[in-house]
Amino acid sequence: MKTIGADIVLQVLEEEGVEAIFGYPGANTLPLNDRLADSPIRHYLMRHEQAAAHAADGYARVTGKTGVCLATSGPGATNLVTGIATAYMDSTPLVAITAQVNSELWGRDAFQETDIIGITMPITKHSFMVRDPEQIASSLRSAFRLARSGRPGPVLLDIPRDILGTPDSGNERSIPENTPLPYENGEALVRIAEALNRSERPIILIGGGIKLGDACDLATAFVKKTGIPFVSTMMGIGSIISGNGYDLGFIGTHGNQLANSMIHQSDFILALGSRFTERSTSVIAKFAPLASVAQIDIDPTSIGKNIKVDFQWIGDIKDALVALSELVPPRDRSQWETRINEERALSAAKEGDDGCGEAGLLIRKIQAALPRDAIVIPDVGLNQIWTVRSWQCRSPRSLITTGGMGTMGFSLPAAIGVKIGAPEREVVTVSGDGGFLMNIQELATISSYCLPLKIVVLNNGHLGMIRQMQDLFFEARFTNCALGDTVDLVAVARGFGIPAERIPVHGNPDAAIARMKEAKGPYLVEAVIDQDTYVYPIIPPGKSNVEMISGK
Amino acid sequence: MAVQEHIISLLVNNQPGVLSRIAGVFSSKGYNIRSLCVAETTNPDVSRITLTSRADRDFTDKIKKQLDRLVDIVSVTDLTDIPSVKRELMIIGLRIKEENRREILRAIDLFGCKIVAMDEDYLILEVTANTDKTAAILKFFEPFGVEEMNRTGAIAVFRQPSGR
Repeated sequence: MKTIGADIVLQVLEEEGVEAIFGYPGANTLPLNDRLADSPIRHYLMRHEQAAAHAADGYARVTGKTGVCLATSGPGATNLVTGIATAYMDSTPLVAITAQVNSELWGRDAFQETDIIGITMPITKHSFMVRDPEQIASSLRSAFRLARSGRPGPVLLDIPRDILGTPDSGNERSIPENTPLPYENGEALVRIAEALNRSERPIILIGGGIKLGDACDLATAFVKKTGIPFVSTMMGIGSIISGNGYDLGFIGTHGNQLANSMIHQSDFILALGSRFTERSTSVIAKFAPLASVAQIDIDPTSIGKNIKVDFQWIGDIKDALVALSELVPPRDRSQWETRINEERALSAAKEGDDGCGEAGLLIRKIQAALPRDAIVIPDVGLNQIWTVRSWQCRSPRSLITTGGMGTMGFSLPAAIGVKIGAPEREVVTVSGDGGFLMNIQELATISSYCLPLKIVVLNNGHLGMIRQMQDLFFEARFTNCALGDTVDLVAVARGFGIPAERIPVHGNPDAAIARMKEAKGPYLVEAVIDQDTYVYPIIPPGKSNVEMISGK
Repeated sequence: MAVQEHIISLLVNNQPGVLSRIAGVFSSKGYNIRSLCVAETTNPDVSRITLTSRADRDFTDKIKKQLDRLVDIVSVTDLTDIPSVKRELMIIGLRIKEENRREILRAIDLFGCKIVAMDEDYLILEVTANTDKTAAILKFFEPFGVEEMNRTGAIAVFRQPSGR
């Protein structure tokens, strides 16, 4: 068999350490699909291209490697878009390979032709077409380097079918690369440390960059050594194992009362790998009015993008934490600690059982039944907030969620990638009935590969978060939020070959959880949740982080 | 922060789609490009893009960082406060009447414009100047009857060879 372009693609994927790719074939991917049969790389056949991108994303988030998805031209490529945008917003390293129509047809509105480069420009770090077989290898290597370097993110490579099928000439040509920006020198870190040492009420803000920069251990050590309390953004949750005395919870719209209150009172914020989205800060003008802000990030464009910063350092988070550990000694801040402890007692009384009602109780019971390193993947909506508030992160990469894009339908396909990336760990998805229905076809993928996933659907018959917001802010006019109970999810799951059962509202979930735990393959539990189970406290639109409300 | 005209000079790889990516950075942030000039440099692999935008300094700094991040960008320079020579080319089609012919010809001489075509009641002027001056010249001729106008927007070179 002659070596063709598709073989070069697979050789480079092997070089890059890729073991699994997620895809859906089409006529134009066939040269690649054909050669995949002889490759050690496993191709997982998803049931929708969006799911392929989410699965590659989940695989990357749990392994720390670059995820790879493959789709054909036209609708295959456009179906990837939501998954690529999700990876972009959450900075997941992802290489999306799309097959394009033959070069001589390009630009003629050929069957299944679309300008996927143009479509994905705003949601990728870079997207480009390979126009010459001799550039396949260097283009693909560049794509991987780019996806991983600096602030990670998705890169799309479009390869025409004829180039995939062209015999290899052996004349590999490299393509030019732009040089990365130099990191800032250490003096800026010294100034940050000095300001931090002077501060009376400092707080560390943990963003998603800690996990992306593989700096969870360093961040944990820094917190322990300095004794400075920390808050997390939703993407930062789980970077430092929760449940220690320094953890104040997560900030923002659906965050904890304590975290929001303490960041509001702080006089210095050390932000590590966070871009300060409005989901965390609420109204920027009212955010942390007393605090100086030091922002450390690998991405220059994230510095000062959303809030004005007083100190900045651009570079690798690990380098920053190593240097700061030397420069920031522990010091007595007993007044600040006392104030935190007082607020902790106050907010615990206000929030009750995490403000998540019966849903929170169920999630805590599920976690208690599973091993310590189990991974949870919430979907988007009330289920996401219930999960991130109720699940105690006891090991790194144990909570995988889409914080930036908030993509409903993420959890089921992402869990496929997570389970394939971490087969030895228990993986549980928690979704609402809305998000679950958005990528329900992936039950077929789970079933066909017999992936032992624990699938929990919290079914309140509604788009719960929409319902809560309509209840609070739209005079309880519930429009277009009721999904009803017309679908028998248990029967549907069984139809896909997945054992399933329903736990009635207010029923005892223990026996069902035990059966789910013991299942050798996938298992679905549908928990019926009261439609009025909301999440509190919540920050109303236009209010500051300390104007949370705990009821109507 | 004060809003002013910013001239950004970019060296980019001469590749399809580069201009679209650059325009995308502006449009995704909700800012308008006022003028844009693109041409190959002495190196055919590299093009020079000169664009102007009205914005405050803070915004321009952010845009520069966003542009820097694009793979096909070689360099980004904000020329606003850097010594440089800036010019734009404007061509004006002007209707002339007997009673204002003398005044128009005198103004052409005074402004240093060039007549590139002329017949009895119509002439075409070529103006090369900085953007302020081309705007002033256009404003002067408008009452006489500007039938057509086209301008390139600013291009610029640094005063010092090490400028970029």
